[in-house]
Amino acid sequence: MHKSGFRKTIEIIIFSVFIFFLFAPLLSLGIWSVALRWYWPHTLPQKIGFDYWFQALGITKSLTLGAVNVVPAFLLSLGIAIIVVIITMAIAIPAGYALAKLKIPALLKGIILILFLLPRAFPQQPVFVNLMLMFTKIGLTGTVFGVILVHLVVSLVYAVWITTSTFSSIPPELEEAARSVGASRFRAFLKVTLPISAPGLIASAVFVFLTSMDEFTGTFFVGLPFVTTLPMTLYSASGSNIQFASVTAILLLIPSILFMIVIQKFLKAEHLGGMGG
Amino acid sequence: MTNNLKNELAVGKSGIGAGVERPRSYANILPYILVFPAVMVILLLYLYPFLASFWKSFISKEGVLSLANYEKTLRLYRYDILFTLGVTALSTFIATVLSILVAVYLRLSKGWLANSVGILYRLPIFLPFVVIAQMMRSFLAPHGILNLLLAKLNMIDIENPLQFFNWVGLTFGFVWKQAPFMILIICGGFQMIDDSYIEAAKSVGAKLPQIITKILIPMNKPTILIAVTLVFCSLVGCFSFPYMLIGGKSPVTVTVDIAHRVNYFGDYGVANALGVFSYIMVSLLAIYYVRSMMKKGLYD
Repeated sequence: MHKSGFRKTIEIIIFSVFIFFLFAPLLSLGIWSVALRWYWPHTLPQKIGFDYWFQALGITKSLTLGAVNVVPAFLLSLGIAIIVVIITMAIAIPAGYALAKLKIPALLKGIILILFLLPRAFPQQPVFVNLMLMFTKIGLTGTVFGVILVHLVVSLVYAVWITTSTFSSIPPELEEAARSVGASRFRAFLKVTLPISAPGLIASAVFVFLTSMDEFTGTFFVGLPFVTTLPMTLYSASGSNIQFASVTAILLLIPSILFMIVIQKFLKAEHLGGMGG
Repeated sequence: MTNNLKNELAVGKSGIGAGVERPRSYANILPYILVFPAVMVILLLYLYPFLASFWKSFISKEGVLSLANYEKTLRLYRYDILFTLGVTALSTFIATVLSILVAVYLRLSKGWLANSVGILYRLPIFLPFVVIAQMMRSFLAPHGILNLLLAKLNMIDIENPLQFFNWVGLTFGFVWKQAPFMILIICGGFQMIDDSYIEAAKSVGAKLPQIITKILIPMNKPTILIAVTLVFCSLVGCFSFPYMLIGGKSPVTVTVDIAHRVNYFGDYGVANALGVFSYIMVSLLAIYYVRSMMKKGLYD
C-alpha cells in the first residue's frame, strides 16, 4: 500500500516535469504575444494588451510598434498552398493509383520507389541551393511560380506515398465487381475506388496544404526577398521584435494544430516527422 | 529509365489514338501515363539539382575540375561539420532514450495520467520548425522564462543567466520536436506485442528493466531503427531552427554555413561541398532507410 503511494508520487512528479517542458515554451510564446512591457526579472509582464495582435491583423496601423500587417503574407501563403494542393493532388492521385493498382515492371517500380524515398533520406537544403541556380537562369527566383514549384517537390513525395498506401488498402475485388457488370476502368475508379479512398485522399491534401503553409527552407532560397510567405515574415521579425514574432508564430501554428487533430488518424506515423523542416 | 519511359510514352500516343480498336495496348501503357507527371517533377526538380550538388562541388571558382572547394570546406568548416554531427547524434540519442521510456510507460500503464500523456505528447509533432525556433528563442533567451524560473528557484545567479543559444538550446529544441514523433512510431510497434509475452516474462520473475531490454526493445528493433534513422536524417538537414537560434555565431550547423556561403559570398562550390558532407553524414542511415522501405514495399 505504502509502496504504491510512493510510486504514484513519483509518477506525478515526472508528469509535472513532462507537462512543464511540453507547455512552457508554448506558454512563453503566448505571454510574449501580449506583453507590452516586461522588465527582467519580473515574473510576469508589467503591462499586457493586444496591441501587437491588432497591428498584425491590420486592425490598427501604428508606426511605433515595429509590427506590420501580416494579412497579405497570410493570404499569399494561403493562395500558394491552395494552388500547390490542386497541382500536387492532380499529379499524385494518378501516380498513386498506378503504383498501387496497375502492373508496372518490378525494376521500374523499384526505381520509382527509390526516387520517391531519396528526398526523405537526404538533406534537401543543398537541392534547394541548386534549384535556385537553375531557377535564376530561367528567371524563376523571387517569383510566386518558383515558390509554388519548390513547394510542389516537397509535397509531391508525401502525397504520392499517402495516396499509394490509400489505394493499396482498397481490396481489388470491389473495382473488379464494378467492371464485371460492364463499367469501364475509369468509371469503376470514379464510382467505386474514389469514394472509398476519399478520407485518405483528403488527409493527403490537408497534409500537402500544411507542408506548403509551413515550408521554410525552399522558400528561403527561391522566394526571398520578393516572395514573403508567413514563415518568411516570422523569420524576418524573429531577430528584431519578439512580440510581433510571437504573434506571427501563433498565427502559423493555429492551422497546423487544428487540421492535424482532425486528420491525424488517417496518416501513417512515418509521414508526420517531416513536417515543416 | 527515362528512355524506357519515353519509349512507353511514344507507344502511348499511338495507343490513345487507336484506343477503341486496341484496348489491350491502352491498358498496357496506362500505368506509365499516370506516373509520368509525378516522375518528371521529381526527376527535374529534385534528382537533377541533387546530382548537380555533387558535380558542382568539384568545380572551382575558376570553373575547372578540382578539389579546391573540399580543401576550403575542411579548412573553414571542419569544426562545424563535427559540431553538426555531434549535436545531431546527441539529440537523436536523447530523443531515442526518452521516447523508449515514454513508450514503455504508455504500453504498461493505465489510468488518467497515462491517458493524458498519451494524448498530450503528440502536440510538437504538428508544429513546424520555424514556429519552434521562435518559441525556443523566447523560452531559452538569457532573459527568457526558463532562466527566470531557474533564478526564482535559486538554481542560477539572476545576474548571470545561462546561455542556451548554442548546442544546448539546439539539442533541447531538436528533442522537443522529434522525441514525440519517435514515441508515436515506437508506441505503434509496442502495441503489436501481445500482452501474453509480458505476462509470461512477469510470471517467471522478470523485472521492468528486463521486460524492456529482453522483450519490448528486441521485438521492435526495426521500428526503433527506422525512427532513429528518420530523426537523424531530418535533423542533419534542419535549417530554419539552427539559423534562427544561433545564426551567425560559431560553431553552427552545416546548413547555416551553406546559407551564409550562398547569401554572403555567392560561393556555390563550397556550399555544395558542404552539402556533400551533409549527404555523407546521413549516407549509412539513408541507405538503410531506403533498403528497409523497399523491402517493406513502402506502401503496405
